[in-house]
Amino acid sequence: MTTSPSSSAGLAVRKPNLGLRVVGIVVALAALVFFPIVVPNTYYIHLAETIMIYAILLFGLDIVVGYTGQVSLGHAGLFGIGAYTAGVLAQSGSGMVGASTIWAFGLPIYGTLIVAIAVTAAFGAILALPALRVTGPYLAMVTLAFGTIIQILINEMDFLTAGPLGLKVAKPTLFGHKFDERDYYWLVAAILVIALVVVHRILKSHLGRAFEALRDSPVASDCMGVSVYRYKVYAFVISAGFAGLAGALYTYSEQYISPNTYNFELTVLFLLAIIMGGRKTRTGAILGSLIVVLLPKMLDDITTFRYVATGLAVIVAVGAGITLARGMTTAKRIAIPVIGTVGLAIFSFSLRSVTDWRLTIFGLMILLVVYYLQDGIVGFVRGLFNLGRKASVSVDTTEAEAASHGDALVTTSSDDSKVILDVRGALMQFGGLKALNNVDLSVMSGSIHGLIGPNGSGKSTMMNVLTGIYTPTAGTITYGGREIGGQAPAQIALSGIARTFQNVQLFGEMTALENVLVGLHHTFNANLAEVGLQMPRAKREEAAARERAFSLLQFVGLAYAANEEARNLPYGKQRLLEIARALALDPKLLLLDEPAAGLTAPDIKELVAIIHKIRGHGITVILIEHHMDVVMTVCQTVSVLDFGQKIAEGKPAEIQANEKVIEAYLGGEIGADVAHEAGVH
Amino acid sequence: MLSIQNLEAGYGKVKVLHGISMDVPKGKVVTLIGSNGAGKTTSMRAISGMIRPTGGTITLAAGGQERRIDGLESHKIARFGIAHSPEGRRVFATMSVVDNLTLGAFPRLTRARPRGDVEADLERALELFPRLKERRTQLAGTLSGGEQQMLAMARAVMLSPEVVLLDEPSMGLAPILVDEVFRIIQRLKSEGVTMLLVEQFAAAALAVADYGYVLENGRIATHGPASQLKDDPGVKAAYLGTSH
Repeated sequence: MTTSPSSSAGLAVRKPNLGLRVVGIVVALAALVFFPIVVPNTYYIHLAETIMIYAILLFGLDIVVGYTGQVSLGHAGLFGIGAYTAGVLAQSGSGMVGASTIWAFGLPIYGTLIVAIAVTAAFGAILALPALRVTGPYLAMVTLAFGTIIQILINEMDFLTAGPLGLKVAKPTLFGHKFDERDYYWLVAAILVIALVVVHRILKSHLGRAFEALRDSPVASDCMGVSVYRYKVYAFVISAGFAGLAGALYTYSEQYISPNTYNFELTVLFLLAIIMGGRKTRTGAILGSLIVVLLPKMLDDITTFRYVATGLAVIVAVGAGITLARGMTTAKRIAIPVIGTVGLAIFSFSLRSVTDWRLTIFGLMILLVVYYLQDGIVGFVRGLFNLGRKASVSVDTTEAEAASHGDALVTTSSDDSKVILDVRGALMQFGGLKALNNVDLSVMSGSIHGLIGPNGSGKSTMMNVLTGIYTPTAGTITYGGREIGGQAPAQIALSGIARTFQNVQLFGEMTALENVLVGLHHTFNANLAEVGLQMPRAKREEAAARERAFSLLQFVGLAYAANEEARNLPYGKQRLLEIARALALDPKLLLLDEPAAGLTAPDIKELVAIIHKIRGHGITVILIEHHMDVVMTVCQTVSVLDFGQKIAEGKPAEIQANEKVIEAYLGGEIGADVAHEAGVH
Repeated sequence: MLSIQNLEAGYGKVKVLHGISMDVPKGKVVTLIGSNGAGKTTSMRAISGMIRPTGGTITLAAGGQERRIDGLESHKIARFGIAHSPEGRRVFATMSVVDNLTLGAFPRLTRARPRGDVEADLERALELFPRLKERRTQLAGTLSGGEQQMLAMARAVMLSPEVVLLDEPSMGLAPILVDEVFRIIQRLKSEGVTMLLVEQFAAAALAVADYGYVLENGRIATHGPASQLKDDPGVKAAYLGTSH
C-alpha cells in the first residue's frame, strides 16, 4: 500500500497494484514513442495518428455522454469546426484551392490549435443550450440538427471554406523545421498524453463530480449548490474544446479537408466508440477509437479478417469460460455469443473475398458488443477481474478519530429568539389545484420545527417552494432577513438551506464519500486551469474536502461504507447518507423530508440522536415526518397541513390533543398503538 | 405453499442473503422483520425474480404440484401466482387506476393463469379499497402517497395470486392511513390470502401475522409463532423499540 502524500490525517488513498500501473504506463509510453521507428511505413503512422486524434475527441465526448449522461450527435460538427478553424487560419495564400485568397492568415500551428479550441468551445456553449431544455431522444435530434447545419454551413460558406472544393493544408512548420509524417506523429502523441492527463484530472476533481451528480439527480445537484444549468454548459464547452483540438490536429494530419468528412456517419462512429470502449474510462476511449479506425480496415482483407474472426472467437470463448466458472452467468446465456463468434470464424474461412460482406460483418460485431457488453469492453473486463474502478480510500480509524475530535459540523451561531424563516401567505397553484393555500410559517432560529399532515396535504410542496424548486404563485419567503422566493435552487442552497428528499435522491453511481464531496462543492475555488495543472490550491482543497467528507460520514455512522456506491446501500443508510450530504453544505437551516420512512425502531433512535446533535450545533431543522414518536420527542413546535392549508400549530402535546388533527391525520386505533409501541411515552 | 431453502442473493460483489430458509403456509400471514440492511427487501426481490438468487431453492406448491421458481424471470414467476407489491409502490404513473389494476391481472387476460372473472375481481378490489373507487379514472401518478400504496396492494391482489409479497406497505404514510393499510391486510387475511409481509412497524406486523422470521445480517436469527416473538425479550429489545 502506498500512501499518497496529499492525505495527512488518517485518510490514505490506496491505488491497487501501484507498481503494476507504473510498469504499464512506462510500457505504453515507450510503445507510443517508438512505434514510428519500429514501423516506418507512413500509412501505418498516419493510421496511428488518426486513432490518437479520435481518442482526444472521445475523451471530450465521454465527458458529455459518460459523465453528464447527455446524448450528443453534434460532435462531428464540432470536430469539423475545429478542423476548419485550423484549416482557414493556416492558409498562407498559396495553398488555397479556387476561391479568393483574401484570408491569408498563415498562422503557425500553436496559434491555430489555440484558436480552434477557443472557437469550438464557444460553439459547444451553443450546443449546450438545447441540452438545458430537453433530454433523451429530443436532445439527440437537436444535436443531430446542429451537426447537419454545421456541415451545410461549411459547404455553403465558400468565401471562407472554399466550399466543396476543400482546403489544402501543409504539414506544420515550427521554428523553421518542417514536420514530416513521423515528427507530426510525435506531436500528436505528446498532445494525446497531455489531453489524457488533463481530462483525467478534471474528471477526478470537483468538476467531474459535479458532472456526474447532474446525471444521477439534477434536482439534488441544484439543492447541493451545484447549478445544473452552469455545469451542463461547462461540460459541453470543455467537451467541445477537446473536439476542436482533435479537429485541428486532423487538418494537419490529412493535409486536405472537405465538408463531407464531418457527416452523420462520423458522429455515430464516435458514439459507438464510446459505447464499445466503455464510458467513464480513458482506456475505453482509446480502445474505442482503435476499434472504429482499425476494424473496418482489417475487414478489407480476407487474411486479416480470418485472423480477427479467429482471435475474437478465442477471446469470447475464454471470457465465457471464466464467467461460467465463476458462476456469474449460465450456459444458456453465453451460448449465443460463443456460437456466433465461432460461427463467424468458420464462415471467414469459407469466404473467398470479404469485400461484399465487410459492412455487414462490422455491423454484426458492433451489435454483439453493444448487446452483450453494456458497460463496454473496459467495463466488462473490469467486472470480470473484479478490478475496482475507483481508488479506494482506506482509513486509519484511530488517527481519523483524533483528527476529527468532536465532529464535522460547523457550529452556527443561533439566536433562539429570532425568526430564521418567515413564510407569509404562500400560495402554490398547479392548474386549478392549490397545493399550498395561503400558508404562514414562522420558524425560530435554533429550533426543530415539525411539519405534519396527511399524504398529499402540501408538505413536500412546501419543501420545494422553500428550496426554490417551485416558484410560489404568491406570497413571500424571508430567510435570514432576505426575500428568497423565486431564487434559483443552487443559489438558495448556497445561502444556507440544505435538504433531504422524501424519495431518496442520491447520486447512485458515485460512492458515499463522493456524494458528500458533491455537497462540499462550495468549498472549492480552484478553476479549470488549476485543476488541469494540479496547482497547490486544487490539491489542498481536494485533500481538505476528502477529510471533511469522511468525518461527515463518521457523524452519521457511515464511515465504513465510504467506498460503497450509493445505490448499493440499504434504504435506511441511504437516508443517513442524504443527511451527511446536506450537512456538507454547512447549512443554517436543514429540511428533512421523512427521514424515518422505512427505518426500523432501533435505527429511528439513532436518527433522533443525530437530529439532536445537529440542533446542538445551532442548525435549525424543519422536520416532515409521519412517525409521531419522532415528531413528538424532538420538535419544539409543530405545524399541521391539510389540503394545502395550515389547520393547527403549537407544542407537540397540544397538537396531539387537537380534534381537527386527530380527525384528519392521527386517527385512533392502530396508529396510536403503533406510535405507542414504537416508544412514545 | 412457498418454501425457501438456503436462499442466497446479493448485488454484484455484495452478498446480502447468506442462506435463509422460510416457509409460508397456505392461507397464513408470515412476517419478516429485521433492522435496515438485514436483507428483507432483497429476500422479496429474490423470491419474485427481480434479482437472481445465487444459491438455494424456492419452491411454490400450487394447483396440486410443486414447482421450483428460483432463477426464473419475474414475469414467469408472476404467472405461477406470486404477486409482489414492491417497496416504493412503483405504480404505472401515467395510467389510470383502473388500467393499473387491469394490468395486475395481465397474466390472467393472456390466459397464462386461469382467467376467472377479471371484471368482478376489479369491482371487488375497488370495494376493498374505497379510496381507489373514488378515483378510478384518475392517473396513478397524481394520487397521494397513501392512495398509491393502496393501488400497489390492490394491483397485486388482481393477479388472484397464490402468495402476495407486501414490502413496506405503510412506508411514508400518515398514521391514519397506516391504520387503514393494516385493516386491509387483516381483511385480506380473513379472506384466506397468503401473504409474506415486510414492515417497519414490527409490532403491528407481528400483531397481524401468524408466524414471524427475524432476519439479521442476511441470516435467520430466530423464528416462531408471531404471538411468541412479540413477547420474546430479545426481539422486543432489538426490533420493537420498547427497551427504553
